[in-house]
Amino acid sequence: VQPRHPIRLIAHDDLQRSRLTVFFRLLLVIPHLFWVALWSIAVLLVMIVNWFITLSQGRTPDGIHNWIAAYVRYVTQVNAYLYLGANPYPEFGDWGGPGASYPVDLEVDPPAPQNRWKTAFRIVLAVPALLLASALGSGSVNFAAGSYYSVSFGVLGIAAVLAWFAILARGQMPRGLSQLIAYALSYSAQVGAYLLLLTDRYPDCDPQAVALPAVAPRRALRVNVADDLARSRLTVFFRLLLTVPHFVWLALWGIVVLVAVVVNWFATLFRGRSPQSLHDFIARYVRYALHVNAFLFLVANPFPGFGGRPGSYPIDLEVDPPEPQGRWRTFFRGPLAVPSALLGSALSSAAATCALLGWFASLATGRMPRMLRNLAAFALAYQTELYGYAWLLTERYPYSGPVFAPEPEPMAAEAAIAA
Amino acid sequence: VLAGAGFAALAAIYAIAIPRLLHTQVPGGLVLRSVDLHGYFSARELARASNFEAFLRVDGVLALLAPVAALAVYARRGPALVRESAAGRIGTGMLLAMLGFAVVWLAQLPFAVAELWWERRYHVSRDGYIDFIVGNWIALGASFLFVCAAILVVMALAAPLRRSWWIAATPVFVAFVALQAFVTPYLVPEQHPLRSPVLLQTAASLKQAENLRGVEIDVQSVRRFTTEPNAASAGFGPTRRVILWDTLLGGRFTEPQLAVVLGHELGHLKRNHILKHVAWYALFALPIAFAVALATRRRGGMYEPTSVPLALLVLVVVRLVALPLQNTVQRRYEAEADWISLQATRNPGAARALFANLAITSLAEPRPPGWSQLLFDEHPSIASRIAMADAWQRAHPL
Repeated sequence: VQPRHPIRLIAHDDLQRSRLTVFFRLLLVIPHLFWVALWSIAVLLVMIVNWFITLSQGRTPDGIHNWIAAYVRYVTQVNAYLYLGANPYPEFGDWGGPGASYPVDLEVDPPAPQNRWKTAFRIVLAVPALLLASALGSGSVNFAAGSYYSVSFGVLGIAAVLAWFAILARGQMPRGLSQLIAYALSYSAQVGAYLLLLTDRYPDCDPQAVALPAVAPRRALRVNVADDLARSRLTVFFRLLLTVPHFVWLALWGIVVLVAVVVNWFATLFRGRSPQSLHDFIARYVRYALHVNAFLFLVANPFPGFGGRPGSYPIDLEVDPPEPQGRWRTFFRGPLAVPSALLGSALSSAAATCALLGWFASLATGRMPRMLRNLAAFALAYQTELYGYAWLLTERYPYSGPVFAPEPEPMAAEAAIAA
Repeated sequence: VLAGAGFAALAAIYAIAIPRLLHTQVPGGLVLRSVDLHGYFSARELARASNFEAFLRVDGVLALLAPVAALAVYARRGPALVRESAAGRIGTGMLLAMLGFAVVWLAQLPFAVAELWWERRYHVSRDGYIDFIVGNWIALGASFLFVCAAILVVMALAAPLRRSWWIAATPVFVAFVALQAFVTPYLVPEQHPLRSPVLLQTAASLKQAENLRGVEIDVQSVRRFTTEPNAASAGFGPTRRVILWDTLLGGRFTEPQLAVVLGHELGHLKRNHILKHVAWYALFALPIAFAVALATRRRGGMYEPTSVPLALLVLVVVRLVALPLQNTVQRRYEAEADWISLQATRNPGAARALFANLAITSLAEPRPPGWSQLLFDEHPSIASRIAMADAWQRAHPL
């Protein structure tokens, strides 16, 4: 069992949002960004001094630690406001320590002894975490020659854009997006704290390690992970090439599935329910795609079979039987799936980053780091839910929160209260 | 009785087919006299080619032996990798086959990189190390597809046929090879049609002389990777094509010399050498498949995925043993193509100049040791090719 991380996110979000402040959020946050920029310059200078002190004394002085901790907390609050993870306008620096005054806040442990080697090479050691933080972060704008530029979104960026539309429409933050944004902010704060020498504990991207409100709606497509993290170095080294035959088979099978999805769309539109045989056929393909992706992204070790049989792979998929589906939701299933597809694409980038980092780690140690495995598994699970939704296996919208404990069923909850 | 009859039928087929496949248009009594190399090359050129090839020979021998050693280890330890698969019998066989290829790739990579380093040192290659390794890596991925298809055929047939899978698998593999030969012209990257009006005119007259109308002449852009000149013929039937590397063009070779090159490649097509290779494959695929079946019998035959590493070892050893024979046949066909080119162009002087120029530009040793020819050379030595041009001239005095 891992000891708790010295940098912890506390989120108590009631999901209520003001449409007015959300609409102007990007402009409202400008004073805070200005203040963050000024504070960052000072932090940069102090960090250089702090690096020498920590290197010589083996720990950060209390004063500097608290000051930098306050900075990291403030940046996290500003980010939470900017990315719609919280509603109230934040203070310009909460100097009184974490009193849970802001809905998204950080708990930072007091200074502890730090390993001098880890301190000396902190910037180099932080590179993998920074790569992952960039995939989980807001994204970037890249300017090329002339007037051309490209925008790439990270998970946080896409989640915020989707949340912006959802809040303006409903006046409420979707719970899944709130949890996802909190998770991304938590990781970003841990990376910042690690770089700024608040702790020498490596940032933990395991979604299960973030103390989020731990319930989620019951998913219609559930991914079960029964992997022991052990990896064969030989198959890891050639993983991409070993997947090539599966790519071919996926593509060939995919052509038939495409036809089946179209037929399924008409059938569900007329009958209000997906026919069992088509449901099973598509579910089997979705499971096979999950197996292949789990192998490719190093979420599991063994070479998968070509049939997508249930129970044949450590990362497996349970699919609920066909359920009644609303005709309007069926008719507009394609456009409705677009937001989820955008988020799925950002999560795929995160999974690819996990696979890249995991590739090196698995070759070196023969094991996949748990946190990378779990993040990639979450990304794949989301993708799988997306396929299930888009291809009419269910009408439950993919749940974006990185939380897997389902809400108790009403009957079970009543029984628990009675007990 | 059935086996005896089958064996007798096979022997009869071999007895008829092999002499026919070996027959060429090169006159039987042609005498190739020794050539004085100093008449064509300076002492410095000969020494440079000799130095260049000496390293490549050692490297080449090691590159031939390395896969055998690697697969010998893999044949013993590979079956344990079954635990890395959740893919069932055939899928596991595919995994073990791909890993076998991967092991061979890893074993050969240092020698391939050493070869590249040496060629770069002598300015024969311009390929970068990263490009080379990435290209090799991608090629390995393509080979994975082929090996998976092969394993699928073998292991699927091994389920109903058990020990006799090899009889049914052979025609399938022959069909694969024929298909590959047929589509190869479409798989060659960076091709464009020949644009030189003079060469197009030459090619047209040669094609007419050889009755090869409809054969396309293309140019492949390779100058970024190599300075070595080369040409090839590919395909059969409607896909027949001659492909010239762009390193042949641009003034390094004269037009009469390029006419000899075109005549040579058209000679391959005229004499159906590509189809004859498919026929050779058909002849030898059956005994090789039988050897694999026999060798893997103690491990449960090709029905069991654990037999795959051993099957790969058998295939590599057979290939190594067959290599001298394969090269001998290929040299015979190359000599025939040279002869047809001489007959078509009737210009032995250009042929001699071409061969000498080829040796200088690709740093080929004009008269390599016999063992080296046996193992590595698909073409007759430059000395032999010049001697053939001399012999043609003697047989056709002005």
